[in-house]
Amino acid sequence: MKYQSQMVAKPYFIAAIGLFLGQILFGLIMGLQYVVGDFLFPEIPFNVARMVHTNLLIVWLLFGFMGAAYYLIPEESERELHSPKLAMVMFWIFLAAGVMTILGYLFVPYATLAEMTGNNLLATMGREFLEQPLPTKVGIVVVALAMLYNLSMTVLRGRKTAINLVMLVGLWGLAIFFLFSFYNPGNIVKDKYFWWWVVHLWVEGVWELIMGAMLAFVLIKVTGVDREVIEKWLYVIIAMALITGLIGTGHHYYWIGAPEYWQWWGSVFSALEPIPFFMMTVFAFNMVNRRRREHPNKAAVLWALGTGVMAFLGAGVWGFLHTLAPVNFYTHGSQITAAHGHMAFYGAYVMVVITMISYTMPLMRGRAANSPLAQVVEMWSFWLMTVAMVFITLFLTAAGILQIWLQRISDQPMSFMAAQDQVALFYWLREGAGVIFLIGLLLYIGSFFIKGKAATAD
Amino acid sequence: MRVATFQWLMLLTLTALSFGLAEAGMSGSAVLIPVLLATLVKGNIVIDRFMALRGVKGPWRWIVLGWLLLVLGLIAYAFQLAQS
Amino acid sequence: MWFFILAELLVFGIFFLAYAFARTHNVELFNASQLELDRASGVINTVLLISSSYFVVLAVSRIRRGHSRSCASWLITAMTCGAAFLVLKLSEFSGKIEAGINMSTNTFYMFYLGLGFFHFMHVVLGMIILGAVTLKAWRGGYSAADHAGVETGAAYWHMVDLVWIVLFPLIYILN
Repeated sequence: MKYQSQMVAKPYFIAAIGLFLGQILFGLIMGLQYVVGDFLFPEIPFNVARMVHTNLLIVWLLFGFMGAAYYLIPEESERELHSPKLAMVMFWIFLAAGVMTILGYLFVPYATLAEMTGNNLLATMGREFLEQPLPTKVGIVVVALAMLYNLSMTVLRGRKTAINLVMLVGLWGLAIFFLFSFYNPGNIVKDKYFWWWVVHLWVEGVWELIMGAMLAFVLIKVTGVDREVIEKWLYVIIAMALITGLIGTGHHYYWIGAPEYWQWWGSVFSALEPIPFFMMTVFAFNMVNRRRREHPNKAAVLWALGTGVMAFLGAGVWGFLHTLAPVNFYTHGSQITAAHGHMAFYGAYVMVVITMISYTMPLMRGRAANSPLAQVVEMWSFWLMTVAMVFITLFLTAAGILQIWLQRISDQPMSFMAAQDQVALFYWLREGAGVIFLIGLLLYIGSFFIKGKAATAD
Repeated sequence: MRVATFQWLMLLTLTALSFGLAEAGMSGSAVLIPVLLATLVKGNIVIDRFMALRGVKGPWRWIVLGWLLLVLGLIAYAFQLAQS
Repeated sequence: MWFFILAELLVFGIFFLAYAFARTHNVELFNASQLELDRASGVINTVLLISSSYFVVLAVSRIRRGHSRSCASWLITAMTCGAAFLVLKLSEFSGKIEAGINMSTNTFYMFYLGLGFFHFMHVVLGMIILGAVTLKAWRGGYSAADHAGVETGAAYWHMVDLVWIVLFPLIYILN
């Protein structure tokens, strides 16, 4: 760690991991409710568990991105953060808002929550992933703007590199596209447009910039490969990601009432979206093979490589699987979507945040790398979580294929709930894989508490 | 430099030829084959001469030429398919 | 840059084949709609792009001998052709739009307008690149030994030309 102010990243990362644990617990509750419908009813109904599961994911990833930005930007800009105090204030505001929101979901009926929080002044609630009450949404904007001010001032007065500029553009995009969530038109087609402009332009647009910048930063640090080489890769990757991702938005327009030509444009461009992810994999392996030094933090290198592979599989391959309009005609909104969602979020965004945490946390705790034992435990957690996620994805894919067959293709189509009964076996298997994932996560958290002498490069 | 000028005139001639066939109201294979061949030659001139990929080491030339051949070949196939 | 050129060729290639195979399901519609196109405007545009590509070749050969100003002049000539292409294309499009035709009219027009517009944007981008190269060349920023920028800009422009060379017969002529 070169600058004292980079330390503000630490609480952000701790909060991220805490909320990650919460997300997984609610995922398990919900996974069980798939097969035991009245589990924990009426205390935690399915819709609430689902909302908590997805909202926690987004919030903890945002914590992770913010922490990563507060660590990476000063180092790249070669100066202290503009205002570490502001960053800390924003941390507590964001954490309080996040916790209050989750408690609100859990203890107040959603309709009452909407009434209490002024949804009748400006209706923004009730849409998937954007369920947050108005004050939370405003809070997210305030926190994001304060962070952007803080980071932009740092970059403006400091060194400008490809990495900190891409990171900053990604974060600005994240904040700007979130503004679409404040517009909730009555026309359902328009509503879907604006909803996708938040959801899609985040995960298949600006988040990829953030991810690319984080991955490039860690790779420079752990491999010692020349900055020029890594920056060239980064530019090509983000250019490809933006071109395919922006026009690829069309793959969400197929069946929402948009003009029919989107079936062509959405299909072709989103079919190319795997390319930037494939390049990220090649990039990561290439850089590690050309490394000029052996970094003692082996776990961070493993996470970085894993990010490339899993992002390509989850976002690239599983996305391509159902992105072409003639296929999507049958698959949209099925368990195939859920399979893709799980592996893409884990492979791309969860893993890149953990890569960053894995690289920076030891440094913030005063050592280049954790003890060999702690690293072994961390690598075990890597394999447990990653393999468990692969199985979750495979089981959901199997469930999806069966569901589509029974419900949409066969001569005597079943109703939704009847088809769900038929795929229950896969839901049980998925729940089992989920338990393995939780064990992996607990091991990961445990690895932070293993003491011992710091590992050295051998 | 005369070479480039010659190639430019060649491209113009081939364009005129394709246009002429269409204006003459011909259709089917009578248009398909000559026009696609003309396009192939035109594309080849642009790739080898204008982009100067001829003599470049490595796969670039063959990738771009391969693209041209593949696209034109499949277009020919699709149009044949539509005729039958 | 070559990576982008290949990616662009891939996208256009997919769309060309999509056109060709979509046509097999609807030959009459495609043939009938194609007759409504302004073929003369298409052929003039082809001549413009081919010529502009030729002028870019001349510009590259000038800078190889270190003649910056002459290189810039040829690039300006090439861009003039490019601008004429854009004007003609816009009038073609506006004619169609005035006739009440848009991308939802039928599959043929979806491809004609969509691909045409997509290519149009590439010509615009190519002009911007050539413009930047011209500016630098005019100020003497390139030399006989170091002119990679000119070559890269030229390669992109030739790609735009190459795509049009396939697009023109495919959409305007073959039936």
